[in-house]
Amino acid sequence: MLTLLRNLRRLRTTVALPAPARGRSLALRHVDAGSCNGCEHELTLAASPYEDVQRFGFGIVASPRHADVLLVTGTVTTRMREPLLAAYHAMPEPRRVVALGDCALARGVLAANAEIVGPVEAVLPVDLRVPGCPPSPSTITQALLDLYDGDYAVKTVTW
Amino acid sequence: MTYRERIAAALDDGLRFAGLYATGSVVRVALVGPDGVLRLESVEVENGRVPTIVDLTPATAWDEREAADLYGVRFDGHEPLRPLVEHDLDLRNWTVPVHGDDAYQVAVGPIHAGVIESGHFRFHVVGDKILHLDARLFYKHRGLERAAEGRSLEEGRAYAQRACAACAVTNSVAYAHACEDALGLTPTAELARVRTVLLELERAWSHLNDIAAVCAGAGLAAGNTFFAALTERARRVNEQLTGHRFLFDSVQVGGNALVVDAARVAAAREEIASIAADSKSGWRELLFNSSLQDRLPDIGVLTADDALRLGAVGPAARASGVADDVRSTSPLLAYDGLVAVAPRRVAGDVQARLEQRAVELLQTFELLDTLLDRPIVAVDAVGGSEGSPLGLGRVESPRGATLCVVEHAAGRINRLHLRTGSYANWPVLAHAAVGDLLPDFPLINKSFELCYACADR
Repeated sequence: MLTLLRNLRRLRTTVALPAPARGRSLALRHVDAGSCNGCEHELTLAASPYEDVQRFGFGIVASPRHADVLLVTGTVTTRMREPLLAAYHAMPEPRRVVALGDCALARGVLAANAEIVGPVEAVLPVDLRVPGCPPSPSTITQALLDLYDGDYAVKTVTW
Repeated sequence: MTYRERIAAALDDGLRFAGLYATGSVVRVALVGPDGVLRLESVEVENGRVPTIVDLTPATAWDEREAADLYGVRFDGHEPLRPLVEHDLDLRNWTVPVHGDDAYQVAVGPIHAGVIESGHFRFHVVGDKILHLDARLFYKHRGLERAAEGRSLEEGRAYAQRACAACAVTNSVAYAHACEDALGLTPTAELARVRTVLLELERAWSHLNDIAAVCAGAGLAAGNTFFAALTERARRVNEQLTGHRFLFDSVQVGGNALVVDAARVAAAREEIASIAADSKSGWRELLFNSSLQDRLPDIGVLTADDALRLGAVGPAARASGVADDVRSTSPLLAYDGLVAVAPRRVAGDVQARLEQRAVELLQTFELLDTLLDRPIVAVDAVGGSEGSPLGLGRVESPRGATLCVVEHAAGRINRLHLRTGSYANWPVLAHAAVGDLLPDFPLINKSFELCYACADR
């Protein structure tokens, strides 16, 4: 165990990711609306020591009740429309929706029309579009920073 | 002989069930011999009905349910024929009834707590003990097989590939083999080598990811992070070699267009050797971590008998003592003389399935080291044999045997069918969880680490 921790420490020193200049905090909830699992695998590795998205205060939470942002992957299938809406409506305001990956944006989708509803924006208001098939961990991190710094912080005060 | 008699005779002869699918008018069953040779048996659908074979081989349960939902075929004798792809919301129609004092249900999903694909689990429990599990998948059903119909054989590859990012190479190679079988083409040794490299690169990142996932399932953050870092390095090797982290579009029908010069191949080989060394060191740490190891034995047990009976494939089957690996009978790929490996303790539990990944990783790293000894050049498959309207391909994915069938007319797809390792193993996982505690299910689930996407398609 100590060897594992020592090796991880060395790795973090070698990778030497810069510390963020300012504090931030975003609670993210992911919903797979009909992906090929590529976006999920890349989103998972956004937490690896090579990207470490948590250093910005961004983290995945278990429930939409705790979330600021809904990250939606995949083209929305007929069978995932209702669960996706349920997750969105379970979120507290203010909330933001990120359509993650080409399928969520209806780019180059391969599917039978009868089985899908369409892109995420056919079901929910989308605040940020992140292209890529799939978007890499660094693209995902940068997109979340853009959301936070460029838009999210300003619009949170809504009362 | 009748259809049922032919299937029964084949099973008696030592062939195993490899997949069943329907077209509009016919139901076809793929069977595989110990030598890896595939045989297809067909039966005409009469008045919307064919006899079931689920009593002969329970592994066909999901295939028949899917054919019933998507092609309206009734399977006489398969009772009750519960919906699978169709989401009938009436619980009585799709769950197995469980009665008794204090028995109740726990519904999980389709949205899970982590970054996980969508699918629903209906646990029937008493207290924490799982009595039965009904898995309802197909939330992600995109109708990929239907959507591929009418496309050219070259266009069809994308539909097989995008069924699942984690098995993209396997699905593409199985599809390419099926098309080449139908076109009368044979891969050259060099084409076989390139595809084998791509398949093993996929296995490498996938197995590293699976070890990380089991650590996460047991709450060992350091192990999870360590193997996540190795997974990231493996994906970077993929990108360096092919331009894509999941190796998308690196497999073509009838040849190989990927070109990688000597310097880049050598750099990848060096990085793979370094990943191999680090993963061995990390694995040693996991072996001596008692808080992890204490969680692993004797849960999610799959016996060898059940693995055979239910048609388990891949690492899950091998960890139960079924030494079955498509790679050892793959003349179209560069696996000459490969022998399936097994963990020290072939117990069919979470520990055995985890160790199965670790020992297979060593084999994969050795294979890559051997195969990446020279540049990758563009090559074509060679023609010569006669084509046919139906082609078959079967390839070992990181999760197990994947069957692809392509039926075409003049190069246009009439029917594409993909039966992946995950598809075969989902019902097996549901069976293996019975008798265990609900809080252990995430760990049992991670030890199989099945894709939802390539089951749902």
